[in-house]
Amino acid sequence: MKYIWFLILVIAFFPSCQTDNAEGDFVVGSDYLSISNKVIMIDTLTVNVSTINLDSLITSNQSRILIGNYTDPILGQVKSESYIKLTPDNFYIGSSESDTQTVTYVFDSIAMILKYDRYYYGDTTKTQTINIHQLTQKVKPNTDDTNFYNISSLTYDSKSIGTKTFHPKPIGKDSINIQIDANFGKNLFNKLYNNEITDANEFEDLFKGIVIKPSTTSSSNMIGFKTSSVLRLYYKKNNSDSENSLTKDFSLTDLTKQFNNISLDRTGTIIENLPDSKNKLSSELTNNNAFIQSGTGLACRIDFPFIKQLKYISEKGIIVDAELVIKPNRSSISNLFPIKDSLQVYECDNLNRISKVLTNSDGSQKLAILNTTPDEFNENIGYKVNIGAFLHQEMLKTTGAKSNLILAFPNISKGVNRIILGNQKNAENKLKLKIYYISY
Amino acid sequence: MKNKIWFVLFFASQSVGLYAQSVATSPYSIYGLGSLFETDFGPISALGSSGIALPTTSFINNLNPASLGFIGKHSFFFDTGLKGTETNYKSENSSEKRNNFQFSHIAIAFPLNSKSGVSASLKPYSSASYVISNFQLPISNSNEFYNLDAASYGGLNTFDLSYGYKIQKGITFGLTTSFYFGSITNNKDFTIANSITNINKKSFYSGMRVTLGNQIKIDSTFNIGLTLKIPSQITGSKTQSVTTINDTETQYIEDNVASNVDNYYLPFEFGVGLSKSFHKNFNLTLDYEKSLWKNTNQNSVYGEYKNQDKFALGLSYLKKEQSFYYLDKIRYYSGFNYDTGFLSINNKNVNNMRFSLGVGIPIESTKSALNINYSYGIKGTVGNQLVKENYHMIGINLSLEAIWFVKRKYD
Repeated sequence: MKYIWFLILVIAFFPSCQTDNAEGDFVVGSDYLSISNKVIMIDTLTVNVSTINLDSLITSNQSRILIGNYTDPILGQVKSESYIKLTPDNFYIGSSESDTQTVTYVFDSIAMILKYDRYYYGDTTKTQTINIHQLTQKVKPNTDDTNFYNISSLTYDSKSIGTKTFHPKPIGKDSINIQIDANFGKNLFNKLYNNEITDANEFEDLFKGIVIKPSTTSSSNMIGFKTSSVLRLYYKKNNSDSENSLTKDFSLTDLTKQFNNISLDRTGTIIENLPDSKNKLSSELTNNNAFIQSGTGLACRIDFPFIKQLKYISEKGIIVDAELVIKPNRSSISNLFPIKDSLQVYECDNLNRISKVLTNSDGSQKLAILNTTPDEFNENIGYKVNIGAFLHQEMLKTTGAKSNLILAFPNISKGVNRIILGNQKNAENKLKLKIYYISY
Repeated sequence: MKNKIWFVLFFASQSVGLYAQSVATSPYSIYGLGSLFETDFGPISALGSSGIALPTTSFINNLNPASLGFIGKHSFFFDTGLKGTETNYKSENSSEKRNNFQFSHIAIAFPLNSKSGVSASLKPYSSASYVISNFQLPISNSNEFYNLDAASYGGLNTFDLSYGYKIQKGITFGLTTSFYFGSITNNKDFTIANSITNINKKSFYSGMRVTLGNQIKIDSTFNIGLTLKIPSQITGSKTQSVTTINDTETQYIEDNVASNVDNYYLPFEFGVGLSKSFHKNFNLTLDYEKSLWKNTNQNSVYGEYKNQDKFALGLSYLKKEQSFYYLDKIRYYSGFNYDTGFLSINNKNVNNMRFSLGVGIPIESTKSALNINYSYGIKGTVGNQLVKENYHMIGINLSLEAIWFVKRKYD
């Protein structure tokens, strides 16, 4: 009987007296740990790189008036002209509709004031000549569309109402003034002065907008201007000696009514045979290089034709990480043609239709970031992006078409920066893809 | 009295969950069911784990259920123990020491009548506990490495119910039904390049096995025994969650996906043993057991399954069972055990050799004793991917007998 109590004590005591010493490294025999989960790195997967032509970049509502014309030594002649609808705040001259002074006002002059937005590309030590024309067509997108594209254009009067040749100072100065034809200005003044125009529709019938075109002969740069640029009409009191003229501004009140037509003349260049927007030009046909140019729609497409093969490594596996490093052709980069420190990554189908922008887990856009820290062989310089999750999905896809990636500069519709990227066969700027895989 | 017994059992079952969570000391704990935990009752450990022919007359014999047929009709036995092991692991290029001290078993046995007895016991079967942090392993196909942090706990236990019956004087038969159960939780973090992959696995195992036994008392000094273990399987299922995170994205690959795990097959085993007393003070036990692991046709990541031969030899000495002097009643044990192992790694068997010594210190006037044993063993050899283990083991167990159903002569 007394044993029982003793036993209970013993049993209660036992579990609490187990001890373990597992503070060793547990290295002996740990090799077996690698057996149930295999971790491998794959750096031999074929990556096809090609150049594509995105023909419908939305250039309206981008908040930049991009004007210029230059010849890129590799890609050909790049040109951008800007279409702008300009409207006044009101449809009278003077401080108010019932301004008793109005009768005393007379037209003085009219000028286009273009404000630099600090963007430039190409050689700004060379002059640029621009011409301003009146549109003969309203700034209105096609039916069922609200956007204008890099290939959109509108008809205009061949007679220029203003022209200027200038040395661009996008950093040093704030704006340039382009004197506009006085007859055009006077006409505009009179219509408002005489109350012949009382609302926006009447105004648009009279003045549909302008196009600012670069001269195709002299320019060798591309300049960005702010959308706060205005057409300014100067007027003053009749017989007044006052130097102070009064002004009336015609401005971009609706940013969707301004767009840039950006074109590239590839004649005679290495990408002369770039196919239409649904096809691609293999980098193997262009010296193992692919090309990106904002604005004109050149983009780099990356295909992983054998990604599904990785499924056969084991029954169940994950691509946990994949590091894509794509390297710019350094000799193509110069002060005139700088590159950007990141590339935007899109997912697309075989017809180059973009389905989404690749994002990080926090929802932010995934960028390929330029690593500029040089090592001994400058091997590290390149745009690096982790595409593990994308490749994992592609590997597991059982239905549906394969997806590819498109690389382009951020703000693809706003500038004309370009870059040349090497493929896997490019000896000097070899593309690298490292895939890390674990079976589970 | 009986109610109290059930209370003890209940208490014991409460402790199962606890004692299954000990960190095992063998590298083999990393895979499958973990490393097997061997334990014997009474003085059997000290006898080199021999005793197939020994009757359950002074302690519970866990090797042969037929021994219960010899249980005295007034005896109630209780057995419980602790086991401590210190192991030195040695591979080709490293060595380390680990130790472990834990509860080893709890068992009771009592007679049903003068011809039969039953026993119940609970003991750990395997332990899959280990902790590894920041362990560097090579990434195949590259010069790079990944880091592994892993923790595992849990293991299997067995609950045995045995019955022994004396069919005629000196001949008994017995049957044990063993229930295997337990779970192993395994959590691994793989740090590969800029990603961390977490694999969390919970495996549940269960199985049942039958052991048949026979003992024959040839004369007052000579017993023989036989056991047959029926092949069986331990079936498992698991739920697994897999998540991978890198610096920019999180992928949930699997969330508690249930699947089967490979069954673990227990082989057909048979054992024969003899027990012979001589010179009045000595008793010799000798067992041979064969396990047909090869026929289980199962794969091990470590190597191939081989048929296993086990030899066990034990010798005990007792000056006088009934003596005026306490020291005369102390039992002394020694034993030797050799087994060829059931795994062959790179064509080398993981064999195991063990010497043991022990004493049985009597408690009061019953057959109760406190058994203390010490063993030294060598398992495996050093070689290509092989690990050699040198271990010291100390076991303490309390083997208690209570006399039942006897009317006390005085109170």
